[in-house]
Amino acid sequence: MEVPLRLYKTVTVFSTLIAVFAVVFGFLLLDAAALGTGLLRQLARSVLGALSLSPADSLLSGLFAVAGLLSIAFGAAVYVLGTRFKATEMSADQE
Amino acid sequence: MSLKEKDEHDHLGWMEEKQLSPIEKGYLFTLIWLDKRFRVVDYLELLETMYYRVNLQMPKSHTEQYNLDNKFWYWYPLYALGSFSTLAYVVAALSGALLGFYYTPSAALAETGTVAYSQIAMIMQDLQFGFMLRSIHRWSAQVMTAAVFLHMLRVYFTGAYKEPRELNWLLGIVLISLTMGFGYTGYLLPWDQLAYWAGQIGVEMALSIPIIGEWVAQLVFGGFSLGAPTLQRMYILHVFLLPFVVTSLIAIHIAIVWMQGIAEPH
Repeated sequence: MEVPLRLYKTVTVFSTLIAVFAVVFGFLLLDAAALGTGLLRQLARSVLGALSLSPADSLLSGLFAVAGLLSIAFGAAVYVLGTRFKATEMSADQE
Repeated sequence: MSLKEKDEHDHLGWMEEKQLSPIEKGYLFTLIWLDKRFRVVDYLELLETMYYRVNLQMPKSHTEQYNLDNKFWYWYPLYALGSFSTLAYVVAALSGALLGFYYTPSAALAETGTVAYSQIAMIMQDLQFGFMLRSIHRWSAQVMTAAVFLHMLRVYFTGAYKEPRELNWLLGIVLISLTMGFGYTGYLLPWDQLAYWAGQIGVEMALSIPIIGEWVAQLVFGGFSLGAPTLQRMYILHVFLLPFVVTSLIAIHIAIVWMQGIAEPH
């Protein structure tokens, strides 16, 4: 998909940023799932506690793991979509 | 150069006239929405213009002028070794300061081994992030020693030590020796078998110096055989004397490079 240069810059800069944050955040979630301690998990616990919910540890781990994998997949998808675009000036030398 | 908006490209208008799938449309719309609010691309473009303007004002370097870059480019990564060793030094200093909160330079007997050794064991086994902290300190020390040595090789083989930079070369020799002194004194601090026998070798090397040998052993190791005074002295050398001396000398070393400029290859 060919786009104007300025739009291409928007796509590369923001898709890369979003992808990086999503993947790193996904690994943080996986970490929270595996470790059983740590800030994210305690945060989730206290938020749920405020709603007078106290889910089992294994359930919480499972949720964290799924959310982490989803976040990583989302980051990858955003990145891959971003690579589908190129600026008009770039088309001559490729393909 | 300002952040005043240039003729804004009409992204949405452009999107209207194209046949886009819903995914492409949604994707581009989201990114454009973000771009209008967080103007990261504008700032990056500013940096880009600044980069090219600065480079326009630089005089041609020796390598550019005589077209040596095709022969010389593979040296360029090695010009980063000085900064790299400085970086390793900073990391070692920060992690070392944190380690200092938990370490005790005492050769007195504890439940298992000496106090110094049991403190190291505590850092490695009980302290949160202690294993990581000590590993960072150790690895940055290793990296610094290696980087300093390779930096010296680079300076030697590009002829950067030549006139008018002889003094900085000598200062560099002093610094590499002090770096090894840093390494040695730090090596003795865990006061385990490795440290103890390394210390024994040190004492004997000191004693082998003619005439002043005994005096040197007394001064550096606090006696002719290892003991509490040795550990105490190594600790003070490692955390007090050497940090002040080495930090000042590094500052002078870098200041001289700054004033004289980076040497052109000979």
